[in-house]
Amino acid sequence: MYMYLPIALTSVNYLVVMGLGLAVGLLSGLFGVGGGFLMTPLLMMVGIPPTIAAATDANQIVAASASGTISHWRLGNVDFKMGLFLLIGGFVGGAAGVQVIKILRATGGADFLIKMTYVVMLGGVGSFMFVESLNAMRKTRKASATAASAADPREKKGGFFASLPMQTYFEKSGVTHSALVPLFLGTFVGVLAAIMGVGGGFLMVPVMIYMLRMPMHVVVGTSLFQILFTCIEVTYLQAYSNHTVDFILAIILLVGSVFGAQIGTVLGRKLHGDQLKILLSIIVLAVTVKIVLELVMEPAILLSYAGGH
Amino acid sequence: MKRAIMNSPRFFMAMALALFGLATLSVPAAQALTCSVTPDTIPITFSYHGAQLAITGQSASTDDLVVTITSEPVDTALKNYEKVGGLVWMKKGSLEFKDAPRVYLLSSTADLSRILDAAELNRNLLGFDALRGHIRIEDSKGNPADGKWFDEYLKFKKEENVYDMREGAIVRQHGEKGNTYKVDVAWPYQAPPGIYTVNVVAVRNGKVVERASANIEVKSTGLVAALSKMAFDQAGLYGVMAVIVALLAGLGVGAIFKKGGGSH
Repeated sequence: MYMYLPIALTSVNYLVVMGLGLAVGLLSGLFGVGGGFLMTPLLMMVGIPPTIAAATDANQIVAASASGTISHWRLGNVDFKMGLFLLIGGFVGGAAGVQVIKILRATGGADFLIKMTYVVMLGGVGSFMFVESLNAMRKTRKASATAASAADPREKKGGFFASLPMQTYFEKSGVTHSALVPLFLGTFVGVLAAIMGVGGGFLMVPVMIYMLRMPMHVVVGTSLFQILFTCIEVTYLQAYSNHTVDFILAIILLVGSVFGAQIGTVLGRKLHGDQLKILLSIIVLAVTVKIVLELVMEPAILLSYAGGH
Repeated sequence: MKRAIMNSPRFFMAMALALFGLATLSVPAAQALTCSVTPDTIPITFSYHGAQLAITGQSASTDDLVVTITSEPVDTALKNYEKVGGLVWMKKGSLEFKDAPRVYLLSSTADLSRILDAAELNRNLLGFDALRGHIRIEDSKGNPADGKWFDEYLKFKKEENVYDMREGAIVRQHGEKGNTYKVDVAWPYQAPPGIYTVNVVAVRNGKVVERASANIEVKSTGLVAALSKMAFDQAGLYGVMAVIVALLAGLGVGAIFKKGGGSH
């Protein structure tokens, strides 16, 4: 039941860790998020040091997102073109974000600002998605009752976005945008994710839904495709520079998460886009409440290892 | 002349007295404090989840005993939570705990405060109160930190199972093998690989009168050792391996699901 981890230097119950992998992998396949915002604190709860928890989580997300991407790709849910533009933006934004955080840290008091930004972003995104998808679900019910199909609001296009150069048709998503839009949005999410020290899936998914107007199922597949590459980069850099990737822990996690991602994908097909959105928003809001409680309540022990969210 | 002296009854008397004297002196020597630990090497394999140690030895029957297992002192940096803006708790600063052993496991025959006074406990670094005086705590600017942080440090280490005190846990036996003692110690898996020292002191009339020690080596073996060495010595290759294995596992399971016809 127990397995010793050579880098974390601790022993864990591998059934528990596999179960965590399964649960977070399921969310990943279902919503297209990496799940780092859930997994890192869960790993810390089973005794993994924070820096190793975060780096190893990136390693297992490589497996979960590869598993999820391949099954979403078979279902025709991955917009590679859009994913590529977002990815390029994400890389640029990530690099810029790391520099921003260095400057912020040097000025002091940045941690408070970062934590608050994180909470506000999570809470804001969660609330917005919750309200929006609730309204959309009500509208759908009304529409089906009157048997009238309303015009898809996604067809509306902003004048500014339409006036930008490099207009490109994204076939899988069925939308036309300037290539600059996903590049810019990818950079924006990349900067925020680097500052907050998270993968950014929970930000990228709403950006794709509401700003790029992509259909929910394509959002999930494309987000996973993008997360796959981000996490390959993070895993390598963490292993190379910080020696914080525990290969054994990653394997135990990914045994659970790759199956979880498959189950999530199958389950996702049975759910409507708005149902997926409302479920994701509930999870994001629950995580926000947990973080707020942790911030407000005095910790039982006022000391901790460095790292973590 | 020389031969005459050696044959004289006085010489025999003197020899007999000398031998008697030696024998009297060697009574404590027969009861001399000893210490051995079984096992003295703890291999870390994948199935490692701590170990059960037996510390045994001989001692004078009336002496009290204190056994400690410690590591070389090291400096440990930890983040400390502080209340920010009067509202939220955050990891704000960093504290350095200097000259603190990684592990401190103490067992004794009786309550420490009953067998030794504070000065003697401090001198021999026995008990958490002695550690409090010994470990220096500094903030990131090198200023001494408030004493309350030692209490937090103790809580932190106890939570990791690497600091513990069990007063009265040592069992004495008086039999044919003389006066022996034994204490079983649950070795925590959280203690990192390294060499640890078992020290036993004998206490008589409020003073430490004898000492003995033994070593325990905790070391990674086989694949555990190979992986941790690779992570540091060949970090690039290790990173590539971690990525490739994860990719193959993800893609492989994706393929299995397709074969099973589960997804579509």
